[in-house]
Amino acid sequence: MTLVGPDRVGTQEQRVIDAALRCVARWGIGKTTLDDVAREASCSRATIYRLFPGGKDALLEAITRTELNRFFSGLAQRFDEAHDLEDMLVGGIVYASRALAGHEALQFVLAYEPEVVLPKVAFHHADRVLTAIAGFAAPYLAPHVGADEASRVAEWVARLVLTYTLAPADNVDIGDEESARRLVRTFVLPGLVTSAVP
Amino acid sequence: MAVDLTVRERILEAGFACVARYGLAKTTVEDVARASRLSRATLYRYFPGGRDQLLRDVIAWETGRFFGRLAEAVAGAPDFPSLLEEALLFAHRAVEEHEVLQKVLQTEPERLLPQLTVESERVLVFIRRFLVPYLEREELRPGVEPEEAADYVARMLLSFIGNQGRWDLSDPAQVAELVRTELLAGVLSDR
Repeated sequence: MTLVGPDRVGTQEQRVIDAALRCVARWGIGKTTLDDVAREASCSRATIYRLFPGGKDALLEAITRTELNRFFSGLAQRFDEAHDLEDMLVGGIVYASRALAGHEALQFVLAYEPEVVLPKVAFHHADRVLTAIAGFAAPYLAPHVGADEASRVAEWVARLVLTYTLAPADNVDIGDEESARRLVRTFVLPGLVTSAVP
Repeated sequence: MAVDLTVRERILEAGFACVARYGLAKTTVEDVARASRLSRATLYRYFPGGRDQLLRDVIAWETGRFFGRLAEAVAGAPDFPSLLEEALLFAHRAVEEHEVLQKVLQTEPERLLPQLTVESERVLVFIRRFLVPYLEREELRPGVEPEEAADYVARMLLSFIGNQGRWDLSDPAQVAELVRTELLAGVLSDR
């Protein structure tokens, strides 16, 4: 399987993936054909098959992997910019919320083809998402709260992002820095075992 | 048109029985008519949207019953933290032991989960309304309003009922720890 990551930005694979994302944002996964993607990427169907042997399924897999990489490298950047634990939590929440809300292909699928994505991430499979996010974020949080506490906090915050994304609230907008900060200060920081700070 | 609630209830109950037997994809209006001993015409009078509406309403009805049972189970708790602990323990067990839910989650999650996600907004309202009176009796941390705290706690409860993640929600000690920290540390005053 070809590795498609941020290091491949600008390659032909990445161009095809970007074209496919635009198609999904317009028509959804079900109705997007490889012909559509080829036309959008200005290449031939044969090229797509050469890049993604296996066709549409392989392309969808590559899209998922690329988009996750993109999401996590953006999150890493936000974490690196943060000065303290509060900034890190607030920055992570705001970033994740905006990345999800602003992802046109994802939003189309959630709105019109939820049956495609929810079985992979909701309810009994939410732990996949929680574990992935917690696993990624914990090392960044560990210097502030200790290793044990870090994965607990990371999962906690991941839950917040999921609930406010899937069921938006009237008075809380986690894509808004001030609102997210109030949420973190009010409900999260008091629940941290700060004595674990080295 | 007069809507007879007992008839509606009878149809929903029969619909639930059919889903338990055949699953969401295979249950037809015909099946539910037979199971409820009513005519197809009567079913369409109560559910003009036909099969899709009927199944949507069956899911909503059972979700409502689930949280009704949960509310009833915890209503007698001695204090607010214990109420939340009992709620998590009860709900976690009830989800695991809910045979129809587990079967549908295994075999046709793509049909159930979009609906449950839609339902979750209504469930949040229900839990919030249930929690507010309790929170109004508690001493809250400065600056925290009962409504806002109820929304936060409702979301956390629902998140943990859906998936326990790294916690073991069948262990009362872990549940107590979870409630003390992630649910209530920012809500209740220390005193």
